[in-house]
Amino acid sequence: MANTLLRLRGVQKRYGGVRALRGVDVDVLAGEVHAIVGENGAGKSTLIKIVSGAEVADEGTVEIDGAPLQGGSTQAAMEAGIATVYQEPHLFGELTVAENVFLGRELRAGRAERQRRAHRYGRVDWATQRTRVSELLEQIGLDPAIGDVRVADLPVAEQQLVSIAKAFAHSAKILILDEPSAILTDREIDVLFGVVRNLRAAGVGIVYISHRLDELSQISDRVTVLRDGEVVATRPTGELTVRQVAELMVGHELGAATAARPAPAGEPVLTVAGLGRTGAFSGLDLQVRPAEVVALYGLVGSGTGAIARALYGVEPADAGTLHVDGRAVRLHSPRDAAAAGVAMLPGNRKQQGVFANKSIAFNISSAHLRHLAKLGFWFDRGRERSIAQDFLRRIAIKAPDVATPVGALSGGNQQKVVLARQLVRAPRVLVLEEPTQGVDVGAKEEIHRLVLELADGGSAVLVISTDLAEVLQLADRVLVVRKGAVVREFPRGAGQAEVLAAAAGDDGGAPADPDAQEVHP
Amino acid sequence: MTATRVEAERGEGLAARALRIVLTERVVLLAVLLVVVVVWFRVLGAGGYLVAPYDVGYLGNALESMVPFALLALAELFVIVSGRGGIDLSVGAIVSLAGMVFGFMVGVWGWPLLPAIAGCIAVGGLLGAVNGALVAHLRFPPLIATLATYYAYSSLALISNANGPISTPPVVALHSLTSNVDLPLLPPVPLHVFTILLPCAVLAWVVMSRSTYGRSLYAVGTNDIAAGYATQPVTRTRFTAFVLSGLLSGVVALVTVAQFASARPDAGIVGNGMALPAITVAVLGGVAIQGGIGRVGGVLVAALLVTWLNAGMLLAFPEGAEGSRYQLLALGLVLVLSALLNTLALRRYGRLS
Amino acid sequence: MTAPTTAPTAATPARRGLRVRAIEGQELALIGVTGLLWVVLSLATDTFLSAGNITNILFSVAPIALVGIGMTAVIVTAGIDVSVGSQAAVVMVVVALLVRDAGLAFLPAVAVAIGTGLVLGAVNGLIVAYGGIHPIIVTFGTLNIYRFVALQIFGSEQVAGVPDTLAVIGGGMPGRLLGVPTAWWLTLVLAAGMWCYMRFWATGRHLYAIGGDAFAARLAGVRVRRRQISAYMLTGACVGLAGCVLIGSGGLVQQNVGTGLELQVIAAVVIGGTSIIGGRGTVLGTLLGALLVGTISSAVTLLSWPTEVTQLFIGAFILVAVGVDLLRERRRSAR
Repeated sequence: MANTLLRLRGVQKRYGGVRALRGVDVDVLAGEVHAIVGENGAGKSTLIKIVSGAEVADEGTVEIDGAPLQGGSTQAAMEAGIATVYQEPHLFGELTVAENVFLGRELRAGRAERQRRAHRYGRVDWATQRTRVSELLEQIGLDPAIGDVRVADLPVAEQQLVSIAKAFAHSAKILILDEPSAILTDREIDVLFGVVRNLRAAGVGIVYISHRLDELSQISDRVTVLRDGEVVATRPTGELTVRQVAELMVGHELGAATAARPAPAGEPVLTVAGLGRTGAFSGLDLQVRPAEVVALYGLVGSGTGAIARALYGVEPADAGTLHVDGRAVRLHSPRDAAAAGVAMLPGNRKQQGVFANKSIAFNISSAHLRHLAKLGFWFDRGRERSIAQDFLRRIAIKAPDVATPVGALSGGNQQKVVLARQLVRAPRVLVLEEPTQGVDVGAKEEIHRLVLELADGGSAVLVISTDLAEVLQLADRVLVVRKGAVVREFPRGAGQAEVLAAAAGDDGGAPADPDAQEVHP
Repeated sequence: MTATRVEAERGEGLAARALRIVLTERVVLLAVLLVVVVVWFRVLGAGGYLVAPYDVGYLGNALESMVPFALLALAELFVIVSGRGGIDLSVGAIVSLAGMVFGFMVGVWGWPLLPAIAGCIAVGGLLGAVNGALVAHLRFPPLIATLATYYAYSSLALISNANGPISTPPVVALHSLTSNVDLPLLPPVPLHVFTILLPCAVLAWVVMSRSTYGRSLYAVGTNDIAAGYATQPVTRTRFTAFVLSGLLSGVVALVTVAQFASARPDAGIVGNGMALPAITVAVLGGVAIQGGIGRVGGVLVAALLVTWLNAGMLLAFPEGAEGSRYQLLALGLVLVLSALLNTLALRRYGRLS
Repeated sequence: MTAPTTAPTAATPARRGLRVRAIEGQELALIGVTGLLWVVLSLATDTFLSAGNITNILFSVAPIALVGIGMTAVIVTAGIDVSVGSQAAVVMVVVALLVRDAGLAFLPAVAVAIGTGLVLGAVNGLIVAYGGIHPIIVTFGTLNIYRFVALQIFGSEQVAGVPDTLAVIGGGMPGRLLGVPTAWWLTLVLAAGMWCYMRFWATGRHLYAIGGDAFAARLAGVRVRRRQISAYMLTGACVGLAGCVLIGSGGLVQQNVGTGLELQVIAAVVIGGTSIIGGRGTVLGTLLGALLVGTISSAVTLLSWPTEVTQLFIGAFILVAVGVDLLRERRRSAR
């Protein structure tokens, strides 16, 4: 009987008034790949943070190989044998693989027992380190020769594998992989799985977090489904189908079905035909009518981000056509998009949306400078102010006044400011990428209501999101994207589990909903 | 008991509020320092420590040295606000080279004054455009690009007249453009403060504060990715910032030639060059090195402060050399301290004027 | 526990071509360009390849290369130090006065020089590491402050009549060892040592990590502040040595000494392939960059071109070197 390397009992965690974990019991055995799945907000990331030592559980115990884990210290977790690998490899491009693996905890010559004290001066024992790196790389299935290659010269997939090797430099017992396949191609995923299998065979306990339900049967031994901070099931992977896992993740359908909206009529405002960008997505056909909300839903890495960027000209498409109000347009830059009447709320507000140390008024007007200027260059601050104040009221941005720096606002209010920027000139098409990511529940509802109001007012709205509940609440039609192509379309009222399954790769079985259309099998 | 508590709270609030205003509204702080400096030197003068009176007349005269540094500091304002490590080390070299070209135009090729003035400024703009192309279009780090052009332009300036100045009569005659002018109610002030500094300052203020370009520049300097998403022309905005810097340097070239009645090839690059004091004044004026922050008003008051401080120090030390030494010290200390202040204000209050 | 099976490594073919080598591509290019220049110049002029000229080049380049050793470390950590010229002035006036008036001997004089440099560098390092101010601002400030200090010590115009205590690393005949200036041997030895440090010592490699991503480096256990301060202190020490070389056989030390040194050093470092953004570069590149700059300078003189043309070429080479580097980076990240 394999021994239990990681044992969580009754783990609870609250953030403010929100209970992220409500008494979670999980076991990970030696030589096991244990997948943990759940929707956004189900508690997966909180769980990882507690196990990796970034957070302390409020209640409950965490044991590694029988010994309780001292919470709140990543150092303690590492020393107890927990290694965490995140989606983005945090490596130093200019240093070699070998150097990266041991950075900060180098093996010193002749001071083996003092390895931990990184501030000891000393020549590095390169020979031993290099040998160890070669062993690690071989163990993982990578070519040991890359130990001397600069990390920046490796493709991202290999960099990620190097991250895994790094996690093992100091003999980890438990390896946590957080969405490792999100940024990988199919072939790279095969290599990753090979590595994971090797580690399993070597007796490591692997926690595999993923949204891609179709991968589970290939790689995991057991699956734990989290929902709303609780474990709803832990079963051997072979006993469940993708659909069943999706249903467990989602539970009963969310409350009352969203109110039916009037059927959109009229010519489509936005018509996309055969749109594609090499390496990102292809063959996108899409129409959005006035007063219609269409959603593109897909998992992280499915291509929805690239589609959003193409529709706004940030990473232009190189195939297919776009028509706005029947006119053909070429979107090679955000200016082209704005000129065509397309506005976009970018997905990452911190990097792509907000001017943090500037005022609300500045942020709102920043996309409309010429529009708000007299004679094309004299900026009308009075008008800027009144427009901003108007939005402050209209969309209930909680701030003392329009001169408040946006960085001082909460995430939800910041998002509202960036949204307001898109609405200043009543765009023909409003594209919203991840409109409520990192936004609290209250602001989320307000933003959703606003979006529906906009649609009611006649705008054509395209929501591109990885948040399933949001997509189902807002959209009249949901287009599911997988691997850069639309695979299915669902009307309003479709089952959550079914949509999730379609996005996650359920290729088998007849569609339960006869109204759903097979677009690309 | 409640009364005293309220008193204490209000007092605390006032002090904290005053601190906040002083730290975040740079113009306020500089105005306060200006008063302190003037009073300080007046006191020294009254005590007999100065070699000449630190009076209104002297201060008016001292404005002459303010003109080039205020203009170059404004040039740095544009470039540093544009973000992504924006800085212009070549301003002094542009001053030299444009000045030499101007000297040729007026002193050797016999151009009439107005076209020559326009030509000088245009040359400055052109040289700035090279910087702009390197930084905005070719994505060179600004430090490197302007370092390289500093080398190139200063060598061209030196070569242009075989290392010699141009002091032909038409050039010498230009000096009248910078002589003192008597105004009612005011002490004698050099003419070019009004004919050059004032219009340039007003223009710079209009551009930064009231024009769409200025807004664009602030947006690009704060977050150029978000600016791109907000349909701002990021590359063109950055490029223009360097062109503006070049134009202002061209104006300074005019002033320098007129002031010294000769076009000198080492005009902007003697010693450690003019870029350093310009950057110092800009940072003192509240321009944050990270970009997106900085105002014309702050830079101008900072220039005035540094000018009058330097002027005072010249009087405080009998030997001219000693005075200029202390000016160096003051400049260095001012730079480091004002940068510390900028960082403190940003960290504590999230914004800076 | 079974022995781990090796998964098929079809996706990771051996990457012999990408291994980190002792000499980087950029450095090879520099060797090539400099070599080519030497060949062309020796054909174009009679005097370029003469022993006298080569030793002149080596000697004039030595102080720049010396300071460059420290400056490379500083720039690799994504910092910069434009105060080295003023530091040199302080060091030189202090040592010159001590050698002339207190009769200090060679070794103590050098010790004083290095010590002074260490202190000046430490001030820079401390403000950069703890003050949260951008290094260019800090060192612009200390550039002025140190120049003030130097001028204060200078007092009157200049220091004349400095004896030849330091001649052994100076420019004249006593400063030769096997026909090559001792100053250059000194530079080579130190450069070799620094090169090894930055390649084989953990703390040396940490400099690259800091330049790549200081925040991640700190999380990984790198002592970021300590490394930053030591980089600036090292630069100060190098300035100390360079100051001794510049005093050399003595004579006159002028007030404006060291002015412009920082630009020459930065030019040498940047041409040598060190990236101004940090995280990349070697001391070998800096040496080669300094040699190239020295070659250009000598060439211009021997070809009887105006000396100002040197600067033009330096500017052009900076652009080319950095441009090539940028292209390489862009092509790499596009892969």
